[in-house]
Amino acid sequence: MLRKSLYVIVALVVAAGAAFWLLTQPERLDGSALAAAGPGDPDRGERVFWAGGCASCHARPDAEDDALLELAGGRALETDFGTFIAPNISPDPEHGIGDWSEADFANAMMRGVSPEGEHYYPAFPYSSYARMDEQDVADLFVYLNALPPVAEAAPANELSFPYNIRRGIGLWKLLYMHDQPVVDLPADAPEEVLRGRYLVEGPGHCGECHTPRNFMGGQNFDRWLAGAPMMEGEGSAPDITPSEDGLGSWSAGDIAYYLESGFTPDFDVVGGAMADVQRNMARLPDEDRRAIAAYLKAIPAAN
Amino acid sequence: MKRLAISVSALLFTMVGVAAADDPIVVRQSLMQAAAASAATSAGMMKGEIEYNPTVAKAAIATLYGVSQAYGDYFPEGTQEGDSDASPRIWEDMEGFQQAIADFQTDTAAAVQAAGEDGPADLAAFQQAIQPVLSNCKDCHEDFRIQDN
Ligand code: HEC
Ligand code: HEC
Ligand code: HEC
Repeated sequence: MLRKSLYVIVALVVAAGAAFWLLTQPERLDGSALAAAGPGDPDRGERVFWAGGCASCHARPDAEDDALLELAGGRALETDFGTFIAPNISPDPEHGIGDWSEADFANAMMRGVSPEGEHYYPAFPYSSYARMDEQDVADLFVYLNALPPVAEAAPANELSFPYNIRRGIGLWKLLYMHDQPVVDLPADAPEEVLRGRYLVEGPGHCGECHTPRNFMGGQNFDRWLAGAPMMEGEGSAPDITPSEDGLGSWSAGDIAYYLESGFTPDFDVVGGAMADVQRNMARLPDEDRRAIAAYLKAIPAAN
Repeated sequence: MKRLAISVSALLFTMVGVAAADDPIVVRQSLMQAAAASAATSAGMMKGEIEYNPTVAKAAIATLYGVSQAYGDYFPEGTQEGDSDASPRIWEDMEGFQQAIADFQTDTAAAVQAAGEDGPADLAAFQQAIQPVLSNCKDCHEDFRIQDN
């Protein structure tokens, strides 16, 4: 599988030439959308921080409690494409993002583009964060800036050709990234379900693990949340649609209780990569967990 | 009351099941089922769905203590294969896994101590005793259990 994808990407790079160069141009956010967001509020930003699970990747590996707020980076994500290392995003001006503008931050989060105008790798789940609200991003930025600065550099990614060519990610983005909702809901859908859709498809980035991917790492939106082998590590993320094999037999209350406590309806206990996600979810207000549960019960069942 | 009876009998049944089996994978999974039944009973009381009863609370703690003592013995080399969700990490890092078991034993022993002769006097005392025990479930599953379906 690795070889096959390698050939395909090499072929794309070589053959497409100038078209490739134009198509893969990093695209920044429209400035007016950003200007529309008001000044950030750090309390609201904290809620976005836990919904987005930033600490699971950007805190030091195995950090707990207050250490989760020291975003020194260093966690290694080992995938078929190579090893990605989450960078330092603490407010340290030299090693972190302390000298970034709000526009720099919003472009990283919602377009996957760095202040130098390069593409980020989608191991940083910006293809979900692209669905976030500008105001939430502004709030998160203010919150992050108030966290402790950490003056240490995280190691670099370990990627080999062709995956070490950032420009190639532009094609991936064209094919697999979009900022529209994944599940169409009727205009009169309950407020709670709409809020749940926002949390799951946007900041919560649940689809990054629970939706299967093709050989280039693009999500198969037709199998949204239908369960998938883990990209990083072993095992799989189960089907969480309301199907028989998925959450069909769970009530919305069961789902909310799992996100709060880690216990399934059979009193089995969350584990693997979901343990961190659940700890983050436990920090949200109850209404957010209930909204996520309502959405997961409202989406089409996988079959 | 009916729920209570079901939970308690679930505890007993699983323990009996364990004694009868000789496949280590079956035994360790049954032990976990006993742990789950105790967790269900404990959570039921903490959520107010089951009325607090010190004797039942003590039984839940005693079961978890028993599980913690026995559990580490059922991971012989070669049992990572088969119908098991045990992570290969258990055998790659047996020391770390045994440490997780030791932590589980320490916390259940402390809960047994706190429960005393008659079980924790009230719900608050029970909660204080059982919470550290239940946090072991997630910590160990995070590192040493992999679901694949
Ligand atoms: C699944 C792991 C993961 C999660 C969750 C995650 N990130 Fe990242 N992030 C990464 C990786 C990996 C990179 C580096 C990508 C690259 O090298 O192109 C990155 C890069 C970044 C950058 C660019 C840093 C720089 O120095 O250029 C910022 C800013 C950032 N992340 C912010 C966040 C925020 C805020 C959140 C939470 C809302 C978050 N990330 C959640 C993995 C993650
Ligand atoms: C980093 C990958 C990852 C992310 C992100 C993630 N999950 Fe999971 N999820 C998993 C894995 C792995 C499991 C299996 C857990 C286990 O082994 O106990 C799981 C299990 C679950 C379960 C239990 C299903 C069952 O049948 O037992 C639910 C519910 C769930 N996830 C919901 C969510 C929601 C909601 C989100 C987004 C807020 C989310 N997950 C984000 C990896 C992930
Ligand atoms: C020291 C590690 C450890 C601790 C502590 C632990 N577990 Fe487990 N648990 C495991 C492992 C490993 C498995 C997978 C066993 C297998 O399939 O071979 C498992 C499996 C399970 C299962 C599924 C059993 C089956 O029938 O397949 C349940 C339910 C469960 N655990 C509940 C709990 C509860 C509840 C607690 C806390 C009271 C707990 N566990 C504490 C390691 C642990």
